[in-house]
Parts: sequence; C-alpha cells; structure tokens
Amino acid sequence: MPSLVVGITGLNATDNPGPGVGIARSLRLDSELDLVIVGLAYNALEPGIYMDWIVDTSFTLPYPSASAREYIARLWYIKETTGLDCVIPGLDAELPLFIRYAGELESMGIRTCLPTMNQFRLRAKDQLPQLARQSGLSAPKTLVVSDETELWSAIEEVGLPLYVKGIYYQAHRAATAAEAVGWYRRLLAEWGGPVIVQAIVQGDELNVVGLGDGEGGCLGLVCTRKTVVTPQGKMWSGVTVRHPGMLKAAERFVTAQRWRGPFELECIVHEDEVSLIEINPRFPAWVYFASAVGVNLPSRMIRQMYDMPCDVGSDYDVGQLFLRYSYDMVASTEQYQRLLTTGQLPARESALGQFSIGELP
Amino acid sequence: MSVLQRLALNDEGFVFDPATGDSFILNDSAAALIRGLQEGLDELQLVDRLSERFLVEPEQATSDVEDFLVQLRAMRLL
Repeated sequence: MPSLVVGITGLNATDNPGPGVGIARSLRLDSELDLVIVGLAYNALEPGIYMDWIVDTSFTLPYPSASAREYIARLWYIKETTGLDCVIPGLDAELPLFIRYAGELESMGIRTCLPTMNQFRLRAKDQLPQLARQSGLSAPKTLVVSDETELWSAIEEVGLPLYVKGIYYQAHRAATAAEAVGWYRRLLAEWGGPVIVQAIVQGDELNVVGLGDGEGGCLGLVCTRKTVVTPQGKMWSGVTVRHPGMLKAAERFVTAQRWRGPFELECIVHEDEVSLIEINPRFPAWVYFASAVGVNLPSRMIRQMYDMPCDVGSDYDVGQLFLRYSYDMVASTEQYQRLLTTGQLPARESALGQFSIGELP
Repeated sequence: MSVLQRLALNDEGFVFDPATGDSFILNDSAAALIRGLQEGLDELQLVDRLSERFLVEPEQATSDVEDFLVQLRAMRLL
C-alpha cells in the first residue's frame, strides 16, 4: 500500500464536535493503510491537533470566508511541506470552497471526495421537499419565509407546534406563535434569511451515515438512534439499529442523486414511513461509531480514491452502544505558541521520514 | 415482520427493538406473555400460560392479559 498524506479538518473535539477526530481514529483503525495524518485547524485550541497519537502534524488554515486565494495558497504550502495527497473536509462552512475548487486542488495533486455544487445546494432546508421527492422519501411540510407576514401565514398553514430553522444551521421547537416569532427574529439576526418553518413529524429520529461512489453505488451504511443528545442536539450516546425502511431510503438517495462522498441523513421514522428532515453532505461527528462496528467509511473513502481493495458491505451488529466521553489532556504552551506564531506544529518523530519534499515543520 | 416478532428478548427480560433502538425491561410474567405472543399464542392460550406458570386463578390471569395487551397497543407494539 502506498504511503499517503491525508489532511483532516474539523478537529474541534468540543461539546459541539466536528468529525475530524472521528475520521482520524477511523483511518488509524485500518492498519493496512500507511498514512500520515495532517491536522488542519482554524483555531490553535482545537483539541484534535494536540492528539499526537492520532494526528502526526498540524497546520492552521485561514477562514474559508476570508479569501479563497489565500486558502488555496495555504493548502499549496502544506502540500509542498508535507506532500499532502488528499483532504477530508468535515465542516459545513468550508465545503463550498472545497467543492468549487476541487478541480484546481486536483491539479495541484490534492484529491477530495465530495458531492457536486448542485448536490451540495440540495442540503439547504428549503430544498428538502425536492430532495425527498427525488429520493422516494417523505418530507414534513416545509415553508420558506422571508418576512414576518410570511411567517404568520406559515404558522397558520403548518400548525403548532412547529420547528423554526435557519437555512443551514439550528432548529428550534415552537409551541406558540410568540415562540415562533422569537426564534425567527433570533435566526434572522444570527444567520440572515430566509428562515424555514417546518411541521413536526411524530416518530423516532434515526440517522444514517453513508458513502456514495458518485455513480449511484453505496460504499456502506450504518443506521443509529441517538439515546442521549446535548443541548446542541449532538449525539452523546447512541445505539446501532437496522431499520429496513431507513436503509432502503438511504440507498435510494444515493442512487437517485448519484451521490459522491460522505453523507448523513436525519430522518423521522414512523412504522414504515421515513421522513427526511435534514441531510449533511459530510461525515457526522459520530462517524467513528460506524467504523468501530465494522463499517469504516473514512477508510473506504481513501481506498476508493486510490483504487485500493475496498469492502462495500453494511454488515454490523445492532444494539451496539456508542458512548462519548470527555477526556482531559495536557499540551505544552510551547506547542500552542508555535502554532500561533508559525501556524504549524512539529511532526511526530515517526512521521518525519515520510514527508516527501520541502522543509519539515 | 411485525414489531413484536422482531423484538429480541433475553433471559433477564431485556427487550431490544433492532429497528428503532427502543428497549424495555420486562418482569417474568410480561416476558412470558411476550414470548407467547411471538410463538403465535392467542389470548386464551396466553391466559392458560399465565395461570399455569404463575399459579394464578384464570379470572386474574384474564384480567392481567387484557391489561397487558392494552399496554402493548398503546406502545404500538401490537
């Protein structure tokens, strides 16, 4: 197997975690992959970049919203320094940039495995009904509102209680019209418009993580149910399940969209009816759960990208428990200062010999 | 497969629904009834099983089985 240098973002292993640590741990689980893992961080205090048993070296990145040119130039520097072969982005805010510049990154020798921009746009909550229809799924009644007059009409049409959601982030349950108006104003102030008003569907919330090959094929699926969630709605514990309707729905989604790359579907299931409530076009923070029960999607992504033998089954035991915990570690001020002043952390000794060109960090 | 048929039940009365992740704990008599339902027993046969196994009068067993079935329907397991 060739040695590969893989960049991973989303290493913010906090109470609102990105998927980076889970992706890195998943890759380490595949002992046949000879990898150097490069942490890519937007903040010098992202815990994952200090986890030197998972990440070999780390660099800071500029925010993608600042300047695309600066961002690409930084990736080029990291490429020249470490021989970066591919990047697995895990944060919503950076995906548009990676998708838009996928071709340019490829020409620089940095591969990605991502959906197209049109597919990415389908994740917007106002596109949900269309996406659900195309994938043979149900979707709760969803209305897009741009002012308070439309909001009041939507409240009447959808009925209380309902969800008020930002176009990309946050969802709040409103039991009264006053609550709905309050959440609408807050979302507008924080994220801008439009705002989504959505009916509440009764049932069990189940999530599926999967990986599409871009040709309608699926490289694996794992279905879970959250048993404990944080105030931000993140899974703190969960259990693997195998809901036939949910898994078929995920396969239909991959086939209908010819989806390329990772995804997470959040659905409400009531008996055999599966309602799509959200789609995330990236690995979720709980991706390691799927890897640990035998469906290692980050590893399969790398294997597929580099034409290595790759399992595509979705064989896992149900009833496996996922339990997230909080862990304390100590890092040196020197590491923190180095990251702040130079934008990079020294490489682990064992990784040094594997960097191909350029000055070693 | 019906919800009841797919439930996994162990000897300690722990029940897990592999499709939804729901889990329950049953006492001995509830576990006996769930197993009976999974075997396809009807209501009268469930009453007999409860009577014999737990040495209760048929009238009491009938009332208990009826109660239990109402609970299962409320939980959408039946």
